[in-house]
Amino acid sequence: MKRAWAAALAVAWAAAAFAARETPPAAPRMDYTPPAPGTYRLERIQRAPAGIVLDSDGRPRPFAQFTTGRVTLLGFMYTYCTDRYGCPLAYETFVEVRRRLLARPALAGRVRLVSLSFDPTHDTPEAMRAYGGAFLRRERGFEWKFLTTRSVAELLPLLDGLGQDAVVEVDDSGRPTRTIHHNLKVFLIDPQGYVREIYSPAFLFPDVVLNDIETLLLERPFGR
Amino acid sequence: MVGRRAVKAATVGLFAAVASLFAAAVVRADETCNSPYITNLIKGQEDYVHVWTLGVEGLGDGSDKLVTIGANPKAKDYGKVVHTLSVGGRGEAHHMGFTDDRRYLWAGRLDDSKIFVFDLADPAKPKLVRTIADLPKRTGYVGPHTFYALPGRMLVQALSNTKDHGGVTGMVLYNNKGEFVAKYDMPTGEIGGVKGDGYGYDIGINPAKNVLLTSSFTGWNNYMMDLGKLVKDAEAMKRFGSTMVLWELKSMKPQKVFNVPGSPLEIRWSLKPGDDWAITAAALTSKLWLVKRDAKGEWQAKEVGTIGDPAKIPLPVDISITADGKGLWVNTFMDGMTRYFDLSNPEAPRETYAKQTGKQVNMISQSWDGKRVYITSSLLANWDKKGEDNEQFIALYHWDGKALTEQWRIDFAKEKLGRAHHMKFTVKPGTKT
Repeated sequence: MKRAWAAALAVAWAAAAFAARETPPAAPRMDYTPPAPGTYRLERIQRAPAGIVLDSDGRPRPFAQFTTGRVTLLGFMYTYCTDRYGCPLAYETFVEVRRRLLARPALAGRVRLVSLSFDPTHDTPEAMRAYGGAFLRRERGFEWKFLTTRSVAELLPLLDGLGQDAVVEVDDSGRPTRTIHHNLKVFLIDPQGYVREIYSPAFLFPDVVLNDIETLLLERPFGR
Repeated sequence: MVGRRAVKAATVGLFAAVASLFAAAVVRADETCNSPYITNLIKGQEDYVHVWTLGVEGLGDGSDKLVTIGANPKAKDYGKVVHTLSVGGRGEAHHMGFTDDRRYLWAGRLDDSKIFVFDLADPAKPKLVRTIADLPKRTGYVGPHTFYALPGRMLVQALSNTKDHGGVTGMVLYNNKGEFVAKYDMPTGEIGGVKGDGYGYDIGINPAKNVLLTSSFTGWNNYMMDLGKLVKDAEAMKRFGSTMVLWELKSMKPQKVFNVPGSPLEIRWSLKPGDDWAITAAALTSKLWLVKRDAKGEWQAKEVGTIGDPAKIPLPVDISITADGKGLWVNTFMDGMTRYFDLSNPEAPRETYAKQTGKQVNMISQSWDGKRVYITSSLLANWDKKGEDNEQFIALYHWDGKALTEQWRIDFAKEKLGRAHHMKFTVKPGTKT
């Protein structure tokens, strides 16, 4: 119990600047036509980290198995996230990206979506399987993976490596609340495992994401 | 990353108790002049103001330093220096910028081109966690000026170059770990009928339009020259920027060059939802310029106002836009005036208030609610005034919509700190405002 309280106090700093000073934002809007695929370059921002994750069947897998070989769109999430501009926004975007990719089979088989949980305790492989539902089924070569980790200790290197913040909110008496804050980031990763774009809600639009995916697929594979 | 790891490690065991998740939401801006990708707005009372301070030989330790000052009137440290962090040497400390998650503060030096990254896990005691010293070697640029957060990245606008120390320069992209990602030369060719001068100064992004604006100042040869000598050097005075550039953000390709004579400096996009215009002040001509789309949807830059008497060269330096986009603070360095412009009609700004706040004033930063205005004194080490006119301070004023009322002032010379330049706000951990 003491350890839990110490932990709560240790994260107290993190509660500072969030909900109390945020007002519901206006919905992000896309008021432009994104540049055509292949007319621009997405920079190599950073390499996706190494680590171990659990697939939806509970099998430990190298994280690299889900960040290489295809163009990957990856977002951290909680199955019970309710913030409109948090996980649900990413989820809706993923669903729309999936729908459009399935209409283009030549692309669909070269792309994967990955939803990776922040909460290994609650979001067990079973919970992730239930969350993914019908989207778990591989269709026209397209795949959407619903992953979790065995522990926070195995999650942390992935968060740190990708630069995804996540902090537990505490209440006025220093107790952890049932809220965790994070900036919504969605990572676009090329088949070699390099992060090539990091979307914030300000530009997480299916049109933009799809053009970026296609831009990466139009690149000549390295080493050829 | 040590602090971050510690905090995250501390969350072990807490996850089971977590029953809901809140993602920090999209925000259009900070208080009120930062990257729109920076989250965690301080809409209430800031606890600290951090001042990137130029060391002065013979004053204290003589080193450039990050000075942290208590800013909450309910705290014992209100208006007091609570912490100083010397980074060693003097390299023309200038501007700073938060990373997108607001955890780290990047600060640059224009002379030796070093970039310092401070960890703000405990904002009362910032820690230096990284120094990037190879920008010139890596990019050919000199003088990292503006630090503009992108998701997971920091876009840095440089002012000069290693070849001739003139004004032709570019932007540098780093990831948040401080690793070099890419560089982008400022345009020197003709785009849309206007030739780029290759100069740089500030960055301003409008995510909803997928556009990035840049402005233009001058190179190392000029900004490191004594101001008195510079103004007498006719050839040197020709080497100031006279353009702004509109870039397509996604591709980082310049789309249009605007003629904006007289060194357009800080760029402020209106923060009001639905507004799609930016304003800047040209330092040498003392003019306000508006960047906005015309009836045909073409981005245009046009002169919309005058600051003081241009014949007296008041030298508008920093500007700060209100959160509702209806007002603009302008500091003019030479006469030490802080001026308020009514921006209700951005096509025709009107000066409605002015007060002398120092013998020389440079940066101005306001709280999100517009009630507090902080002012510092130093422009550049070699451009600051001499003798008694060389006041070095930070001052807090309250603004009631009619007048500025001074609350406190810290004499940076008396405190043996140095020349007070750029400011950023933070709040205490665990404090709700």
